Amino acid sequence: MLGDTQNERAAVKRLAVFALVVAMTGFSAAQTPEVKVKRGGTLRAVFGSDPPTLDPAHATDLTSSAVIRQVFDALLELDETLRVVPALARRWTTSADARVYTFLLRDRVRFHNGRALTAADVKYSLERAAKGKRPWVVEKITGARAFISGNAGDIAGIRVVDDLTVELHLDQPFAPFLSLIAYDAASIVPREEVDRRGSGFASHPVGTGAFRFVSWRRDDQVILERFPEHFRGPALLDRVVFRIIPAEITRYNEYMAGQLDMSDIPTGRCRAAQADPRLKGEAAVWPTLGTQGLRFNVERPPFGDARVRRAIAHAVDPSIIVEHLLEGCVIPAKGIMPPSLPGFSRDVRRLPLDRELARKLLADAGFPGGRGLPPIAYNFNTSDGNQRIAEVLQAQLKDIGIPLELRRLDWAAHIKLVDEGRAGFFRQGWIADYPDPENFLTVLFHSKNAGAAGNTSRYRNPKLDRLFDEADAMSSGPARDKRYAEAEQIVLDDAVWISLYHYTSRALIKPYVKGLERSAQSSAPEFLAPLRKVWLDH
Amino acid sequence: MLADLGRPVVGRLVALAPVLFGITLLVFVLNAIALGDPARAAMGQRVDPDALERLRHEYALDRPLPVQYALWIGRLIRGDLGMSFREQRPVVEVLAERAAATIRLALAATVVSIVLGMAIGGIAAARSGGAVDHALMAVAVLGISTPVFWLGMMLSLVFAVTLDWLPVSGYGDGDFPHLVLPALTLGALHTGTVARMTRSSLLEVVRQDYISAARAKGLSETSVLGKHALRNALIPVVTVIGIGLADLLVGAPLTETVFAWPGLGRLLVAAVGQRDLPVVMGAVLVFALIYVLGNLLVDVAYLVIDPRLRDGRAS
Repeated sequence: MLGDTQNERAAVKRLAVFALVVAMTGFSAAQTPEVKVKRGGTLRAVFGSDPPTLDPAHATDLTSSAVIRQVFDALLELDETLRVVPALARRWTTSADARVYTFLLRDRVRFHNGRALTAADVKYSLERAAKGKRPWVVEKITGARAFISGNAGDIAGIRVVDDLTVELHLDQPFAPFLSLIAYDAASIVPREEVDRRGSGFASHPVGTGAFRFVSWRRDDQVILERFPEHFRGPALLDRVVFRIIPAEITRYNEYMAGQLDMSDIPTGRCRAAQADPRLKGEAAVWPTLGTQGLRFNVERPPFGDARVRRAIAHAVDPSIIVEHLLEGCVIPAKGIMPPSLPGFSRDVRRLPLDRELARKLLADAGFPGGRGLPPIAYNFNTSDGNQRIAEVLQAQLKDIGIPLELRRLDWAAHIKLVDEGRAGFFRQGWIADYPDPENFLTVLFHSKNAGAAGNTSRYRNPKLDRLFDEADAMSSGPARDKRYAEAEQIVLDDAVWISLYHYTSRALIKPYVKGLERSAQSSAPEFLAPLRKVWLDH
Repeated sequence: MLADLGRPVVGRLVALAPVLFGITLLVFVLNAIALGDPARAAMGQRVDPDALERLRHEYALDRPLPVQYALWIGRLIRGDLGMSFREQRPVVEVLAERAAATIRLALAATVVSIVLGMAIGGIAAARSGGAVDHALMAVAVLGISTPVFWLGMMLSLVFAVTLDWLPVSGYGDGDFPHLVLPALTLGALHTGTVARMTRSSLLEVVRQDYISAARAKGLSETSVLGKHALRNALIPVVTVIGIGLADLLVGAPLTETVFAWPGLGRLLVAAVGQRDLPVVMGAVLVFALIYVLGNLLVDVAYLVIDPRLRDGRAS
């Protein structure tokens, strides 16, 4: 059994290795000035499931986003380092009070149907997003909440100044606002195509993106082709084919047979793939913006008692899961926010592994040796990985006298139990929608989000709320980060959430695929990278 | 002969309506009992309460369950299966895209199981009791007991990845090479059963007096088995093939998953996961139809094979 210091040392060592991996593999495909890029060819990528929709207003999953990001543009986008950079907006200004953002659109941007983009398209698209499945992307704009709930005819805070200028007014400053505007839910769509196709727009998307839609055979493949009139100039690839292959072993076989240019590494084969001489230089692992955790619903006994929660936190040893179940191909977690998230703090600490202390806390709570505890169920959604993690937890908690009943349900049933507060102890992963601590901490732990909105622990702590309210409105910087770090430590000390590990992307990429960004937002096999930069060195 | 077939066929088709109604009611009730909210499942990891309520209203999930079912039945009578929650398209359109692929795969697998199964069973019967018989029956048992998922992966690994003779997966342009491995995998599920039934049925028939009489007349063994015995041995074999359709439907989602075949099986599995009830109901209806019509074809085949059944002479 590793001590806490040893765990931390191992974690630091692991992080260093990951940094090295990223440095060695993450940018190996980047173009250098001397390299002459080659145009043409078809990139053969793959998804694990059919995208439910190609409409940015209705997409909520990575697969749909992976296509949407090629077909549509937003006003801004995130670069490989997660920095906000111009896209349809050539530049923007922010008012002194950080409440008014003015975007100047590029001239001569064309939709795939040939029409020129105007500021009216921006207003239409953002209001359409507000009526979609991710309305929170615009909810900070003045008047958005009234519009979302059907009490206003438009969003008052979106003002079209002229054909190429649009202003967005906020109720109060919100530091990650530009990241929201760079999100694919805020993609710009042409109204006439939406009106013409109705719900069919989701199957025949028309945007301004570097690739235009060609065809989609459900459960089989989506085909895109280069849009020659893209405002950045034509993409390097002729075509992109996204195959849809549900079984990861089949994806792997297709990759090995040379029928795919990129894919994911099957579960349980991470080390084998890295050591396989046939895959030399093709297997890559890099950190992404997600964390796998365990949560308690503090409204359900016995988890209202922090001593019980802390006892469990002190008894769980994630190193077994990280090293053995996941082959060391994920990042050990000290806190809630992943290291690749801007604002990450090195100083926060999870409660250390200490089973003696765990037993004492349990006894102090009135359950010596676990006696008198009501039956405790651990709820998780169906997957072999989750099942194996649950079995490890079951063994570890048995050691302090807590018999754990494992309750495995499919995703729809699991999330319903969790949302409705009917699960006391449950698995929850979180992947940042945009790279900001607010999207991790405020969403997951602010009392205003108690329940299905994100705070499924239903944890209410006025001090935490105050820290979040202050930090959310502050400009990015050390003072803001400090508040989030303080809040994160409160959550960890109160054992509302137990972090198990941070997610990584585990990918196979053929050596001739160049220019593929591997940012922390990218996750195999979907790769949310902009494919306009990719070329094939055949 | 067609006139003879008309009445039983019409009878079967009329009996189909209550069966399908019962199936839809059962699926609806099971879905209602199962946990899960399709609107929530469609929202992703972060939920906006207003958006969730709007979606539940759009899906009519805010109506009482009996009303939801009555609305669905009302639309069904008009030939409308409703809109997919997940894809926001008419269910008929969603099903039509996948039905052709599934029917193609099921037919190809049936052909595989009939041709291979009857050939293996026939040879085993002709060499009854010998080493060939034992070996072929061992193969048949293997075929029955091998999991579809494993067999599919192995065939893919050998013939696609290693030998590079056939595509690993996918539908391609609907070409024959893409069909071979999925059809063999799904067909293998039933080949063993057909082989065993063919063998035992043939062996039973060859012990009949009229076969001895045929041999006594000096007919060749090929003629005795192929012309006289096989036709009479076919009825139980045809029954097995009919029942086998159910096996093929059960095996279809797994085969479609291994080979990334864009069929109804995968659609149904995904729809159940997303609680996309209109698609689940529609897909189950199609499966039930295929199953019932398959059995109807078996009944028709009986009538064709054995004329005594047409006028009720058979015992």
